Amino acid sequence: MDFLIFFDNDFKVVMPELYLFFAILILLSYGVVYSTSRIFNYPILQVNVGWLTVLTLTVSLFLLLSTPLTNVSVFNDLLIIDPFSNFIKILIVASSLCCILMSNSYLEYKLINSFEYFILILFAILGMLCLVSSNDLLALYMSIELMSLSFYILAAYKRNSEFSGEAGLKYFILGAFSSGLLLFGMSLVYGFTGLTNFEELSKVLTGIHSLSDTVAYNGILLGILFISVSLLFKVAAAPFHMWSPDVYEGAPTPVTAFFSIVPKIAVLALFLRLFYSTFYDFIGFWQPIFLYCGILSMLVGSIGALYQKKLKRLMAYSGIANVGYMLAGIGAGTVESVHGFIFFLVIYVVMNIGFFSFILGSFREKDSTLNIQLADLVNLGKTNPALGFTITFILFSMVGIPPFAGFFGKFYLFAAMIQSELYAVAIIGIFSSVVAAFYYVRIVKIMFFEVSPNYTSYKRMDLFNSLILASSLFFLIFLFAYPHPLLACIHKISLGFIL
Amino acid sequence: MFDSSILLLLIGLPLFGILVLFFIPDTKPDLQKNIGLITSLLTFLLSLKLWLQFDLSTPKYQFIDKFFSVPYSNMHVYVGVDGISLFFLLLTTFLIPVCLLASWDSIKINIREYSIAFLFLEAVLICVFTVLDVLFFYIFFEAVLIPMFLIIGIWGSRERKIRAAYQFFVYTLIGSVLMLLAIMYIYFQTGTTDVQVLTTVAFDYNVQIILWLAFFASLAVKIPMVPAHIWLPEAHSEAPTAGSVILAGVLLKMGGYGFLRFSIPMFPDASIYFTPLVYTLSVIAVIYTSLTTLRQVDMKRIIAYSSVAHMGFVTIGMFSLNIQGIEGSMLLMLSHGIVSSALFLCVGVIYDRHKTRIIKYYSGLTVKMPLFSMIFLFFILANMGFPGTSSFVSEFLVLVGAFKSNVFVTTLAATGVIWGAGYSIWLYNRVAFGNIRTSHITAFHDLDRREFMVFLPCIILVFVMGIYPEIFLNAMHVSITHLIEQVQ
Repeated sequence: MDFLIFFDNDFKVVMPELYLFFAILILLSYGVVYSTSRIFNYPILQVNVGWLTVLTLTVSLFLLLSTPLTNVSVFNDLLIIDPFSNFIKILIVASSLCCILMSNSYLEYKLINSFEYFILILFAILGMLCLVSSNDLLALYMSIELMSLSFYILAAYKRNSEFSGEAGLKYFILGAFSSGLLLFGMSLVYGFTGLTNFEELSKVLTGIHSLSDTVAYNGILLGILFISVSLLFKVAAAPFHMWSPDVYEGAPTPVTAFFSIVPKIAVLALFLRLFYSTFYDFIGFWQPIFLYCGILSMLVGSIGALYQKKLKRLMAYSGIANVGYMLAGIGAGTVESVHGFIFFLVIYVVMNIGFFSFILGSFREKDSTLNIQLADLVNLGKTNPALGFTITFILFSMVGIPPFAGFFGKFYLFAAMIQSELYAVAIIGIFSSVVAAFYYVRIVKIMFFEVSPNYTSYKRMDLFNSLILASSLFFLIFLFAYPHPLLACIHKISLGFIL
Repeated sequence: MFDSSILLLLIGLPLFGILVLFFIPDTKPDLQKNIGLITSLLTFLLSLKLWLQFDLSTPKYQFIDKFFSVPYSNMHVYVGVDGISLFFLLLTTFLIPVCLLASWDSIKINIREYSIAFLFLEAVLICVFTVLDVLFFYIFFEAVLIPMFLIIGIWGSRERKIRAAYQFFVYTLIGSVLMLLAIMYIYFQTGTTDVQVLTTVAFDYNVQIILWLAFFASLAVKIPMVPAHIWLPEAHSEAPTAGSVILAGVLLKMGGYGFLRFSIPMFPDASIYFTPLVYTLSVIAVIYTSLTTLRQVDMKRIIAYSSVAHMGFVTIGMFSLNIQGIEGSMLLMLSHGIVSSALFLCVGVIYDRHKTRIIKYYSGLTVKMPLFSMIFLFFILANMGFPGTSSFVSEFLVLVGAFKSNVFVTTLAATGVIWGAGYSIWLYNRVAFGNIRTSHITAFHDLDRREFMVFLPCIILVFVMGIYPEIFLNAMHVSITHLIEQVQ
């Protein structure tokens, strides 16, 4: 019984993760036992487990919001709980809650009858929560693997679609490859320093530049290179972005929504923790990596999307571009850049939630299929002007037009870059933002201005999709008027993180 | 009553009108149009109060009020007017009711959204001209794009409207992002974005040059100056009548206002350095666009190109950096705002009746539409710079000011008056005089009372500005003298 007393306080602090873990186990066993029981006539527990998942996530959200302690490192320095990780965890759980609520009608129309979908999502969320608060290379690896394995299966979820299977396979191969690189990098770092803990690494690595000719120094550099490349794979930054349009297109749409919103939060927050507290002394080394990857991502994301005719691929490329902005923001290396990055991240999440709730809510009237082609949006301005205007405003926010929230996100990010005197990056970023305006405004054009006799009549959007769409629109339009709570929160977090 | 916060009331009134409009159902289109018109007229009356209570003796900003503050940064946004912005504000609030009245019968779809777009445009334009903060000037400068894009795209006249709306949007966006970077740089170097503070900051010479160029990229697209003027004829000819009116009348002046408020006071050495560049581009604009109008077949395009030529004159006046030049350019901006708008309204009158703007279908309109032809003639003469109208006074002042600074440029610009006369008279000749051409058009209808009421205030204003401009120049003297002192 001694070990229970040993980790007594720690269990209280990791209550959200612990609760989530036990809830997953209970839901899984509940699902398995009851859906294979002959007595109850093999019920389909899809909707049941779905609502229980929503309950689980809501309770975890409440647990996260009422964390008793701040700035502790638990389990012998394996995990760290501080305001930054708490904020990111709240963001992850809240956005995945929105994703699950959005996907309700999809699952109903597509008759996906297995409850494992929700279990997998919950596992992925658990992985991400642990990832954000990881304080050790081993915790990092295990959380990333937990998250990624769930994603591989989710990408291939539609079993009768070879498209989906291909997407899952591609994602699996590339993801496994990048995990291998991650492991290699981590082993190099461990081999040359003997430590895996982030805090101890940061202490050991201060003043490391005096040893710049030794094998150990260069070994650690190589390790950092591998780790950063692997993480850039996971977040789909160029030049490691090849998998993301295909995987996004092949995976079922709610899974695509989940992919483009939530793992990016977790991995980018991990970037922040890894490179700002652990490897900050090597900033001369990783800053060019991030800046070049950022610039390349911005350019690839803006130019690549110009020819796309399918909505999901368009969102994949736009995700690449936005990740580019965030990487370039992280690469700046100052407190303002952390501030700008978190602000942009929150707004990016809200914009994507809004846009995906639109995509997931538009089912065609005649055969209940989801809309995937851009050309099917034609004449939406006439058939459903309220929806058309909502999407117009969300798209204008994505372009970065004032006074919508997207402009302020980009503004803070570019302001941080200018403050660190990265003028070239800021200029390229801003021009790629203008190029991106083309394809976003093209959607508006197709909806309102194109003269075509075709139109697609959509079913009425269900309750949750419309609520989520309306809330995100409200946030994007009115952030201009009252940004105080969000800014106060982010300010406090970024200062607490750096200092 | 609301003396100190009259500007906030001015911004809030169109927004209140939008709120009221949301609740009026589509079964009452007349009520929708009426509410839009009444709101804009009330805004105009309120802005007249600004002019009446304006203190003519000080260059300081008046009616200052705090708009809001951005938390965690040193940005406190104030609104205020001085001699320069007062008239742009009045021009805006004057033109919006004219636009709404002019589109009474010609807009048939989405009438409520149309009025909402115009009222929103009015609120944003008032913010542009009164806000005393560089970053928020930029924000409202860009925010103007959204309603204009929707107005051109939804209520525009032909198939090319999509392309025109796109070009308008993307051209302006590309130019202005460079200005955003310059503003961010200024904020981080000086720690503030308040205009009243920034005009006292002395930037380093090389830094000024780069910042001036960044601002120029944006303002040159808006004005428009020659290499970046291509969006203007497209946008003007495809926009609905009222859209063209507000575009020519006010939106072009935002560029001029930007130069006067930001580029010249904040970067005086760079302004002096780049004066030859601006002169060259402006002279090219005047001569090239005036000659281009001779080949056009679409009436709106002719007037659009003549707008570019007039704005060329404006920039010559502004960068002569003496009091006659700058006062001339300000008065030219006001006069051009009214004259160009009235010309677009004239073309709109014909377009509403016969649905074509191509010149070859019209001839001899004087026979059947005498009142219209008279008003058209008046504004064509005003466009030309005929003595007695406002453009004569303003062009004369511009040429006097430019003469003091550079004789050659003045000579070339003065030939612009000749080209102006050429295309204006030729347009009027072909359309109004000669034998009436009934091969395509057989029924003619002269102006009705609403259209006449739209033209009447424009005529009066042009006349008054031409005969006694001191009424308008009065309020500008002190502010412009202050501006020139800052440059010297």
